[in-house]
Amino acid sequence: MSAHTLRRLIILSLIVLWELVPRLGLIPELFLPSLSSTLAAGWNDAGEYGHALMVTLYEVSISMVLACGGGILCGAVVGSLPKLRTLMMPIVSSLYAIPLVILYPVFNVWFGIGSESKIAFASIYGFLPTMLGTAAGIQTIDPQLLVAARSMGATLTQRLIYVILPAAIPTVLTGLRIGGALVIVGVVVSEMLISSAGIGYLISRYRTILDSPHVFAGVLLVLVLTIAYSALVRWVERKAAIWQTGTRAGQNAADDARTGAIASAA
Amino acid sequence: MQPLANVTSFKPATTTGAGAIQVFNVSQVFKTTTQDVVALDNVSLEVTPGRFVVLVGPSGCGKSTLLMMMAGLREQTSGTVLINGTPITKPDPDRVGVVFQEASLFPWLTAEENVEFPLTLRGTPKAERRAKAQDALKLVGLDGFGKRHPHELSGGMKQRVSIARGLVQNPPVLLMDEPFAALDEQTRMTMGDELLRIWAATGKTVVFVTHSLTEAVYLADEVLVMSARPGRIVDRLQVPLPRPRTYDMLSGETFGTLRDRIWRHIRKSA
Repeated sequence: MSAHTLRRLIILSLIVLWELVPRLGLIPELFLPSLSSTLAAGWNDAGEYGHALMVTLYEVSISMVLACGGGILCGAVVGSLPKLRTLMMPIVSSLYAIPLVILYPVFNVWFGIGSESKIAFASIYGFLPTMLGTAAGIQTIDPQLLVAARSMGATLTQRLIYVILPAAIPTVLTGLRIGGALVIVGVVVSEMLISSAGIGYLISRYRTILDSPHVFAGVLLVLVLTIAYSALVRWVERKAAIWQTGTRAGQNAADDARTGAIASAA
Repeated sequence: MQPLANVTSFKPATTTGAGAIQVFNVSQVFKTTTQDVVALDNVSLEVTPGRFVVLVGPSGCGKSTLLMMMAGLREQTSGTVLINGTPITKPDPDRVGVVFQEASLFPWLTAEENVEFPLTLRGTPKAERRAKAQDALKLVGLDGFGKRHPHELSGGMKQRVSIARGLVQNPPVLLMDEPFAALDEQTRMTMGDELLRIWAATGKTVVFVTHSLTEAVYLADEVLVMSARPGRIVDRLQVPLPRPRTYDMLSGETFGTLRDRIWRHIRKSA
């Protein structure tokens, strides 16, 4: 049995168990409501969840732009300037070790309990690792490629457009993957702490009134959001990163090419 | 040590045509905080059009630095480098093509697009670019491999693409900085023969830097031997072996004598 089929089977049996275990009374519905009652709860209050999803998506998108855009930009600048790098990296790295959630109450005071405080928190939460990742990645660009481009007469602008930008794409994608996932975490967590709207807020509110099916409906929605995001990043990576040689497909193609060369030489 | 009289006696009238390389009294000094390091000390040489010249010497003798100056990629502290009779101060792909040790192909471009790259930089129309790249790939024996990405090619094939890229603008001079150093022995031998075939077909002036004494004698019309820092040219050998070169020559007496002579220079300065 292939790993692929096995994985599907595991997911399928988890779904079945989610339905069966609470129904058979092995776990009380308060702890784990069955899948059908979770879906029903979500469906009955679709309007409420839809609105919450919009709020959360709005906060996630703005934070994503700030965290990923800012992180990639700052990381690129810091990564390519050695002096700035030695100055900044120790500071940024030690900031990264702080549990940033302690800042959230401060942001509440500064920005209120609306979307602004979530955006502020999630942006900073996603910014630091994106920046660190990009700064590290920029340094891995092969300087020999820049020398080669120069030998072919490339100007500074041409080197930036034709060499540095394309060479930085894998790094930028990694930044998007890390930063984006953390932004979703940041938004949902801050909604759960102090807020008046969003999926995190719904989860937290239904929890206080012990309405488990509605809590799980919210959890399911966050899960779907995260899976959708990582699928999107993976799709972009597949489109953009054909040159990543670690893949099996690339290896096979290289082998074919070599066999072809031998055949044509013979 | 051989006198350098023959190195410095130029006949400018015959050596200013397309593909001629002249290096006059070039020095390179690296200034550090504590002292000045002389990497190249008053080096002069000339290469007449269509010759295959190999630079050998111990590590750090400045042979690659010298080559980078001919490519316009590095500025000398003093002295002049002329290609086609005019000074070279910055990279000029019309006069000089360069092939590096690592094939230095852009991994996100196909072989064909890599070969086209110098033409893309100067805005050559697509159809013309494609046609020239096809010709260059055919010349290096990679007809039909244009659509592959570098990671789908073997080490030898990557260097073929790199050579095609160096030749695509049809410059009279091809400079090669240890191009086969990262290849395995067998591929290296094959690539040497391939390079000689391409050289014979195109008539380029080639300056080739290597660590390998066998490679130097096998490929060259003329071998220039450099000493360890400060880098100087300490000997200049004509290789009288007929062309095309064959594998049998490697075990011949002429080959052995030349190889020994280079080795004695290198051992002395190591």
